[in-house]
Amino acid sequence: MRHLIKTICLIALLHTSGAFAHAVVTHNSLKLKPVPVNQASQVELSFNSKVELDLSEVFLVSAGDKMQVITATPGAKPGQVLLALPALAPGEYAIKLKIFAADGHLSEDLIRFFVHP
Amino acid sequence: MEGIANFLDSLIGGVDLTFYSIVIGGLLWVWVVLRPWQDATHYNSVLLDKTAKLIHFGAKALIITQLSKIGLKIWLMTATLGKSPFPAFFNTIQFQAGLLRACFTFALAIFIRERLLRDTRSRLNWLLALGIAVPLVISGGWLVHGASRLEDRGILMLLTVSHQVSAAVWIGGVFQLLVVWRLSKQNMISIELWPLLLKRFSILGIAAVLILLVSGTPLAWYYIRSFQGFIGTGYGNLLMVKIMMMALALGLAWLNRAAVNKYFTTRSLYALTVRVPHYIEAETLILLTILFTAASLTSQPPAIDIPHLTASWEEVLNMFHPRFPRWTSPSHEALLAGEAGRVAIVGQIPSEAATAWSDYNHNIAGIFLTTMSIFAMLSYSSRFHWARFWPAGFMLLGVFLFFRSDAESWPLGPIGFWDSTFNNGEILQHRIATFLVFGLGWLETRARLENNQGALPYMFPVLAAFGGMMLLAHSHVGFEPKSAFLIQVGHTLMGVFSLILACGRWLELKLDSPGKKIAGFISVFALFQIGVILMFYREPLY
Repeated sequence: MRHLIKTICLIALLHTSGAFAHAVVTHNSLKLKPVPVNQASQVELSFNSKVELDLSEVFLVSAGDKMQVITATPGAKPGQVLLALPALAPGEYAIKLKIFAADGHLSEDLIRFFVHP
Repeated sequence: MEGIANFLDSLIGGVDLTFYSIVIGGLLWVWVVLRPWQDATHYNSVLLDKTAKLIHFGAKALIITQLSKIGLKIWLMTATLGKSPFPAFFNTIQFQAGLLRACFTFALAIFIRERLLRDTRSRLNWLLALGIAVPLVISGGWLVHGASRLEDRGILMLLTVSHQVSAAVWIGGVFQLLVVWRLSKQNMISIELWPLLLKRFSILGIAAVLILLVSGTPLAWYYIRSFQGFIGTGYGNLLMVKIMMMALALGLAWLNRAAVNKYFTTRSLYALTVRVPHYIEAETLILLTILFTAASLTSQPPAIDIPHLTASWEEVLNMFHPRFPRWTSPSHEALLAGEAGRVAIVGQIPSEAATAWSDYNHNIAGIFLTTMSIFAMLSYSSRFHWARFWPAGFMLLGVFLFFRSDAESWPLGPIGFWDSTFNNGEILQHRIATFLVFGLGWLETRARLENNQGALPYMFPVLAAFGGMMLLAHSHVGFEPKSAFLIQVGHTLMGVFSLILACGRWLELKLDSPGKKIAGFISVFALFQIGVILMFYREPLY
């Protein structure tokens, strides 16, 4: 019994989990509507759960992993988020998301896309 | 410090569920099993006092845990977002429901201290305590994943809370049984109480398991919905692990029930006093692991939300396909050369050297463990008595892992020890695992040199259980969820075998023959299985 209590304390103190992704993007408009060249545009994301945008951050990642914060606003439907992209030259990009879901999990996600000439 | 904040944030979910079980399970134990207001002859004040004090301890610990959860979220958000989360955090459900839950728990703790502990036989006191616990349970509904869903929130919250309460009944009851056994062993209560309470609890336990299944099945259906989701996602995989561990716990519960039934036929206390307490100890270890796995499960995206990232059953099976272990490793220079491309967000280039490096590490570790398990099996024969020092192999494995686990960081790579350990959750887990493996070998070899005297031999099952928990929660989460899952699937199965290894060794040390030898051999066989999984491991290219 004494040993068991020590075991329980050790487990309680040392347990870990690295899994860290609960709010996920279930749909993004990039699949249906490619980003136009050299023209500001909007990307629509749908999440599987409610997200707290005030506690979230979205970045546009360009060549050389340069990061730029982009504006995220709530969409018309629940779980929908609209991203304002600046005018982009042709090339490979990514949208990096740090999202705080209403269930308290902070999730990171990445959406890669191309701007074709 | 983002790594350590991540680490602690994931830890606290399991701790929270443990203390919640002690409180809620303890209260229901009193209402269904003890019912002290009905029986003035059997229960002395020592038993009732200890019962109430354990619930009081659980309540105090739950307040601290709940407030720490809020504090950790603030720390994590500050570390991850690089800015203060205030005032926005005050408006979140997490903050409001979490604070409310802490307040209800505080009220319960105060009530137990100021009134219940003064009269533990009063039905009214226990009724009031249960009444205060009801809003505590309900407020928890806003802290589960179901509360953030876009549809069917109410039913998902209700099912999850029912699932939590039924798990708490089982686990909280097992904690109370351990208290009863301890008092019985110290002759502080009548020995007749032990079989009586075991029998009463078995009925409550069966009811709890039935409610677990009734509430868990629709939840699993809602969040997974397909066989593919069950087999090919992290969510489905962890649920499968939970089911496997629950089967193990039910197996031990069945042994307890059989011993209780035998007692009421033969009136022999032998099995109830020599075996059952140790089955319950092993059951407790398994149940706690289930709680921590459940906490990990809630941080995985439900399978239904990621059909495009689900692995096929052929891909999952391929992770366990027998193949020749990798004997040669790419050079450290070749590995580092590919790292920049592998970790790049834009223009990512998968690194074959990184995959080969990881395969070599896992396969060589598998050879270590398989060889050790064969020596362990031989040690059961008197002709190979010298083979009992097989745990020394863990020390060699620890040294190997120390140099090979994280090639990009110290001692081989350019990133410093502290920087890599505290800023990367995965490296932190690897460092702990390495230390654990070395410590396991050192302590168990010492214990065997001293002929298993004192408390030292118990460190092996303790550390093995912890290692199993780490494997169950081990994650290489990056931005490639499918690859991360395929890596996870082997680690979680090894986690289950580590738990079997730990429980088997615990029972080998505690039981009499023939159970002792059977448990020992099962334990060693579990080690063999871990070795085989590692020997055949192949990491997906990403």
